[in-house]
Amino acid sequence: MTDIPGTTVFTGERSQQGYRLNHLAMSLTDPANRDRFRADEAGTMRAMGLTDSEIDLVARRDWAGTIEAGGSIYLMIKIAGTLGQNLLEVGAQMRGETLDQLKSSLPGLRGH
Amino acid sequence: MARIVGGIGSSHAPSIAQAWDKGQQSDPLWAPLFDGYQPVKRWLAGLRPDLMIVVYNDHMNRFFFDAYPTFALGVAESFPQADEGWGKRDLPDLPGDSAFGWHLARSLVEDEFDPTICQEMAVDHGILSVLPMLTDARWPAPIIPIAVNVIQHPLPTARRLWRLGGAIRHAVETFPEDRRVVVIGTGGLSHQLHGERFGMVSPEWDSRYLDLLESDPEQLAALSHHDYMERGGAESVEMILWLAMRAALPARVRRVHRNYHAPLITGYGLLALEP
Repeated sequence: MTDIPGTTVFTGERSQQGYRLNHLAMSLTDPANRDRFRADEAGTMRAMGLTDSEIDLVARRDWAGTIEAGGSIYLMIKIAGTLGQNLLEVGAQMRGETLDQLKSSLPGLRGH
Repeated sequence: MARIVGGIGSSHAPSIAQAWDKGQQSDPLWAPLFDGYQPVKRWLAGLRPDLMIVVYNDHMNRFFFDAYPTFALGVAESFPQADEGWGKRDLPDLPGDSAFGWHLARSLVEDEFDPTICQEMAVDHGILSVLPMLTDARWPAPIIPIAVNVIQHPLPTARRLWRLGGAIRHAVETFPEDRRVVVIGTGGLSHQLHGERFGMVSPEWDSRYLDLLESDPEQLAALSHHDYMERGGAESVEMILWLAMRAALPARVRRVHRNYHAPLITGYGLLALEP
């Protein structure tokens, strides 16, 4: 498959590379795990075996970086959501924009 | 004998569920979406379905990459709602139909589809963001969920989904009891949720896709994943899921209703067809 600009195809190899990040996110489908993660982000991630660089990506809310590190967007939004960010905030970060800049480009939100 | 009485293709999205739960049915941003379901809701009620087979994808809520099924078939007597990471919605569990489920399992395997057969299968917005728009009942008929991997490549091809639809039709037509079956395929039209192309929408491609799905769907079955992702965004590869619904219906169909609305970061589409 040839490259598509601005796009990271979620291959099996990427999935394997990002397994720890994705596993953390999957655990957040349990409300008790969400509470635990919010109370101690770094400690939860260390206990789940994430690497220092993976922990740093989450600590900096660098969602583009987590995708580059093998995160699935469907799972990274569970981490973001648990930490109080919505999909548009995640998208703005990945596009290198502010939330207002992103919203101004969406037809349904222009002028809001 | 069982027979297929209708087919529905619909976008699914967490945003639809959120707007629905907030009561934004008349909000100017959302009304063109929700109003579009009204004619289909009336038509579906008139069809009096006994069973709804839903081809959709799970979004990392029931299935994880520790063991990720390409196809998963639910044969349970009921299907609870998955917690997607932000709590469950106020919706009852979905009823299942184990007798039909095991028939479908046998029939699919005989047709050389080999799904992971699930006796426990929580379902997510791939089904539950759509159903409340299609019916006022909670719920009008049992469902059979078929989850397809459209997330972790390698994915099944568009052609494979087309053939799955044919295998579903064969299973329905060989079930010995009477059932009025509606086949539903759900998946977002154009959208990309990651990277610099986050937020891309292509109403032109979505419109062409809806035209072809009705009139010449095998053209869509011949496209590659790359074609879908390039035209509609990486996550729009979910569009191949509608092909299973279309292939379960005859070549010639009657269009009941079509709707499209793209105010945000995806094209919300709806197509209802009758054999």
